[in-house]
Amino acid sequence: MSTPLIELSGLWKTYDTGEVAVDALRGIDLVVERGDYLAIMGPSGSGKSTLMHIIGCLDSPTKGSYRLDGAEVGALSSGRLAELRNRFIGFVFQNFNLLPRASLLRNVELPLLYGGMGGSERTSKALQMLDQVGLADRAKHRPSQLSGGQRQRAAIARALVNEPALLLADEPTGNLDQTTGNEVMDIFDALNGIGQTVIIVTHDPHIAAHAKRIVRIVDGRVATDEARAA
Amino acid sequence: MNLLEVISDGFADVRAHAGRTALQTLGVVLGVASVVGTMGMMAGERAQAMKYWQETGGVLKMMVYPQPATVVRATARQQASRGLTVDDIEAIRARVPGFELIEPSVRRRELVRTARATKTYRVTGTTPGYADLNELIIGEGRFITDSDLTASESVCVLGADRAREFFGTEDALGKQIRIGGNLFRVGGVLRYREFYWNRTDTWNALGWINELIVVPITAMQARDVGAGSRKVDEIGLRLASVEAHTEAAPALKRLLLARHGVEDFRIFDRKDRIAQMEQQGQVYNFTFTACGIISLLVGGIVVANILMASFTERMREVGVRKALGAKGWHIAVQFLVESAIVTGLGGVVGLVLGIGFVHAIASLLDQLAVLTPAMVVAALLSASSVGLFFGFFPAVKAARLDPVVALRYE
Repeated sequence: MSTPLIELSGLWKTYDTGEVAVDALRGIDLVVERGDYLAIMGPSGSGKSTLMHIIGCLDSPTKGSYRLDGAEVGALSSGRLAELRNRFIGFVFQNFNLLPRASLLRNVELPLLYGGMGGSERTSKALQMLDQVGLADRAKHRPSQLSGGQRQRAAIARALVNEPALLLADEPTGNLDQTTGNEVMDIFDALNGIGQTVIIVTHDPHIAAHAKRIVRIVDGRVATDEARAA
Repeated sequence: MNLLEVISDGFADVRAHAGRTALQTLGVVLGVASVVGTMGMMAGERAQAMKYWQETGGVLKMMVYPQPATVVRATARQQASRGLTVDDIEAIRARVPGFELIEPSVRRRELVRTARATKTYRVTGTTPGYADLNELIIGEGRFITDSDLTASESVCVLGADRAREFFGTEDALGKQIRIGGNLFRVGGVLRYREFYWNRTDTWNALGWINELIVVPITAMQARDVGAGSRKVDEIGLRLASVEAHTEAAPALKRLLLARHGVEDFRIFDRKDRIAQMEQQGQVYNFTFTACGIISLLVGGIVVANILMASFTERMREVGVRKALGAKGWHIAVQFLVESAIVTGLGGVVGLVLGIGFVHAIASLLDQLAVLTPAMVVAALLSASSVGLFFGFFPAVKAARLDPVVALRYE
């Protein structure tokens, strides 16, 4: 059996706010295999955002182990974490988080730039990625000239351009109407269909229903972890 | 090389925020231009003063004038003092080393009669070195010579205004004028000289040269009688070198005091005077420099303001970039490219603007425009200090920003 993509065991995150220490995560155990399609749910304050940040290598756990692709990442430097984010993780955010002053092309090129890829190769790859989400003709446009659905597709193109092992989405349909939201979810479904590991953090059961597996976080612990009948 | 790619991305980012960059650059431009402008004006004023000193005999010139003693003459020797005399000249020559020129002169108001007019003028009797001492320039003919002096020759040298007054456009050389009843031949005419402190000034600081009527001191003394014939109205001296000043200046005063027994003379020392001027000038320099620094600070505050105004947007962008895999140095380079453009462009444009300002003021007042390497250095220093403060520190801070905090920043 191959190594799981993500392996969390006994994961704690404590925020020391000065006077009181707040335990956001209290011992999370979670294994995500390659090709999995996971929805992380939970009420606000449950710790699901903290969990997402740690899985996304944006933050480090206080205690416990996080193995990404078999390697412990719990105590890595910020520089190494940046490399891991660049190589392993593609982020999709609720509010798209495209750079507002940069063209779609430059936005999509950024992960390649930080990965060290040179100019012309970078541009052609980014264009190719935009083409896959149907935005090739909008490459020179700025995000503000696009609809919400188009922006989120551009953000997905940016998340995928470095061929990350994990696509990590935080309420990806939160700022979209139902139709465009469904279009975006169709993209995730299709990506998972061709083997892309996807984790979606959401509080919306309809969105979670797209996933193969739903993990509920309550009070910093995994409350339920159930596979959905296909 | 990836660094170049990251730098070029920084340039793309600056282009995307052209308005923001332009405003910051403007802040630096104003700061640098005012620093260069004030420095240039200060240097210009100073150069103007130095030019005047230079044109009238340089900093090594010293003058001794008679002056009524301020104390009651008590002793016989004090009472016997006749003020400055030719004997003082001999004594200085013999006992105070360090002077290359020691030139006495005598001034009298004399009735001068020419073909055109008869009028009272001031006539100066002096020695050949007087021309050198006062930087007189001979236009035609010659100045008083040593043989004129020994022979008490009846020869005179005229300033340009006097020559025109007496002879119009005719050639003055060889013509005769009557000074105090005696005929004097015109041996030379001085070149016309002028120096105005600035354009609005109507007073020619070198006008006195144009109004000179110079004769050999011996020719003038011959007409006086008794002790009077030995009196002089002024002794002009020139130090052999700047170093000689230390010894010679006090020695001169000591000698004259010892000879006269009373301070019935006044020494005008240009080197001391310049030192005094520079000291006074420092007050102005300080004020001007303070103005320049305040302007620079204002420029810096403009830059800081714009940075603050775009802070939220920038924080989020840093968060996004970090989520996409940007390392600290990627972010730092991006910020530094921006501040390098702002300070580089601001420094150069500010320097050009400042130089233009200095030239404009100089031509408006008809003064010297002085631009020194120090000003370029000051411009670069001030631009880069603004850049360092408002570019480097934000860059370091942004590079260290926690991505989670940056992403959440509202």
